[in-house]
Amino acid sequence: MLELRGIRVPGRQAPRLDQVDLCLHPGERVALLGASGAGKSTLLAVANGLLKPAAGTVLWEGVPPALGRRARRRQQARIGTLWQDLRLIEELTVQQNLNAARLAHWGWPRTLLNLLVPLESEACAQVLRRLDLDPSLLGAPVAALSGGQRQRVAIARMLRQEPVLLLADEPLASLDPRLAADLLQLLLALAEPPKALLLSLHRPDLLAGFDRVIGLRQGRVLFERAVADVDGDLLAELYGGSGA
Amino acid sequence: MRPAAPLLMLLPALVLVPLLLLLPSQWHGGGGELIGRFLLAAVQPSLDPLVLRSLLGGVGVTLGMAVLGWSASLVIGVLLGAASSRTVWRTLGGHPWPAELLRRLLAIPRSIHELIWGLILLQLLGLQPVVAVLAIALPFGALVARVIADLLDTLPTHALEALRGGGAPAPAALLTALGPPLLPGLLSYGGYRLECALRSATLLGVFGLGGLGTELRLTMQSLEFRELWSGLWLLLAVMLTLEAGVARLRRRWLMPPRLGLAAGGVGRRGREMVLALLVLVPLGLVVARALGVEASALLQRPPLPALPPPDWAAVAALPWPALVGSTVLLTLVAACLAVGLAPLQWLLVAPWPAMKALMRLGWALQRLWPPPLTALLLLFLLQPGLLTAALALGLHNLGILGRLLLESAVDRGAAREQALLGAGSGARQALLYGRLAPVANAYLAYGAYRADVMLRETVVVGLVGATGLGSQLMESLSSFAWDQILALVAVYALLTLLGEELSDRARHRLLEGNGSPEAAPSQLGIST
Repeated sequence: MLELRGIRVPGRQAPRLDQVDLCLHPGERVALLGASGAGKSTLLAVANGLLKPAAGTVLWEGVPPALGRRARRRQQARIGTLWQDLRLIEELTVQQNLNAARLAHWGWPRTLLNLLVPLESEACAQVLRRLDLDPSLLGAPVAALSGGQRQRVAIARMLRQEPVLLLADEPLASLDPRLAADLLQLLLALAEPPKALLLSLHRPDLLAGFDRVIGLRQGRVLFERAVADVDGDLLAELYGGSGA
Repeated sequence: MRPAAPLLMLLPALVLVPLLLLLPSQWHGGGGELIGRFLLAAVQPSLDPLVLRSLLGGVGVTLGMAVLGWSASLVIGVLLGAASSRTVWRTLGGHPWPAELLRRLLAIPRSIHELIWGLILLQLLGLQPVVAVLAIALPFGALVARVIADLLDTLPTHALEALRGGGAPAPAALLTALGPPLLPGLLSYGGYRLECALRSATLLGVFGLGGLGTELRLTMQSLEFRELWSGLWLLLAVMLTLEAGVARLRRRWLMPPRLGLAAGGVGRRGREMVLALLVLVPLGLVVARALGVEASALLQRPPLPALPPPDWAAVAALPWPALVGSTVLLTLVAACLAVGLAPLQWLLVAPWPAMKALMRLGWALQRLWPPPLTALLLLFLLQPGLLTAALALGLHNLGILGRLLLESAVDRGAAREQALLGAGSGARQALLYGRLAPVANAYLAYGAYRADVMLRETVVVGLVGATGLGSQLMESLSSFAWDQILALVAVYALLTLLGEELSDRARHRLLEGNGSPEAAPSQLGIST
């Protein structure tokens, strides 16, 4: 599904990522654990193709990033990302935001028409219903939504993209514990096989439900093992000072 | 079925359709070879020391006129601004009606373009440097006064009330409570006005008031394109230096100080600002001396030629509906062109960084190049008329709007655009949805304001003929038919005030209740 080999991303002083290997199989749910600044966001940016590593290989569904613009866009359309800051377009309606996830497949007529009339309402309503949101929200401007609704609309947009690989960058960071647990269950449930999920976290208390954990420290993979095998010592090393 | 904001900002570009359909009928193409020579000369400007020396002298005179006119406009603006503020009158213990009255009176000098001021003063005072300085200072001063008064009346008054309650005398309380919060707005707007003053000084030169503008027009008319480009590149260098300097000062003085530096920051910035103001005064005197501006010259104006008796019948016989109609049409076409083309051009070049750099250079040249010169250049290819004038005016304002669009879009950050790119959308689609959507309303609101400015500016392209009030005014000025001039200026002012009212309303509608409340006022703060 996703294969990264020997990834290196230079930084100002130390490299942001160094010799990182990662393999994600269909149906797998993997948590990316590490302190802030460990390189989790950088790794996700490499995984969704926004950042080109200085060295190393990226394979999406076994294929390297295409050179042609069009083919490359098709590949990226199959990777959905949930951003910590959501990145919804405040000025547009919920439906226009959901449809923005289809731009990779749309030509200019539909790109412009989406800004004028409601397009593909049934498909949009469907993703909203999957997230327990009322389809009557479709016409509302995003700026008018509550915090919880926005979070769900952002997930709905990711689903509307129909991705096979789901990436999420600290989606639980700014939520209270109960909301965070609910949202995590939702994301885990959405990543049904053959979809795969890679989710970055900085709190180690939410690992239940994942298949594997990858610990990242100072741009390097410190460990990679099943959730059951992650113990306190390992976490102490992951979050410990600069270490020897 | 209201189009979403990003689509709304592209709709004005539809004016291209009728424009392109009409173009063939206006095309004579007689000067095609000249246009080729003109374009080629851009990369081989004249480096002749004699030419350069004369052009540098011209730049100096233009810059001097701009700085003097600008400084005077700030002084006038601050004084009149305070005098037309309701808060100030109320605090001084009076009724706010004098503020209202002054505000209305100031609308008149503001609604008359600096070129009209320049040409009328030229008739009254004869050709001397003070004419250009006054022509800039008067309308700009009235504009600054309005902005200052608006700023003063929207500032929170708690601090003022607290000081008054503590027994501070009114003038001291006003200065202490309202002075510091006024400063950022004044600096930001003042910096922007300096750039406008440089553009205006160049424009006035094109109409014979001296400086680089005059040289540009002469080289253009004698088809010395290589010398023309030397002047243009020089002016571009000056303009970009000025813009960068103003932006730098704005950042240094107005940006919230970074963490940890806050303690020392405020006092230091305050001292620097006062120092800069103190330097400005002797600098102004030196510049005035170098230019030969003498205030005493104002007192001994040359005797006017004996004025003929007014011929009101002839004034009434002017084709008023047609004049007003063409002026409005010219404004609308030029405004649509400028507002719609900026995002469209950006969308077209989005996938190629090199093309984007080229577009920015083009915009810089367009806002620098005085519209009447563009009009003269277009006459090599097109018939004189409304279309040619609209193109000249529209292209000039495109340069201004384009820069504003780029700046405000960059300020809003790239996160949304990145998110769309990451999901596989194309560079142009991501730009439209992720970058342009968040700034669309503020941009359109600025466009509405700009349209109002363009209405005033229609006079500067009057020389290509058949453009309504502007060209009629030029004609009446050259025959010094003072009765016609009076009537034309009055109608122009009336039209501008009406336009101002309409554009204000459009702006409020665009900005009310829309997603970006924090972006909009700051946008307009620089621009009103």
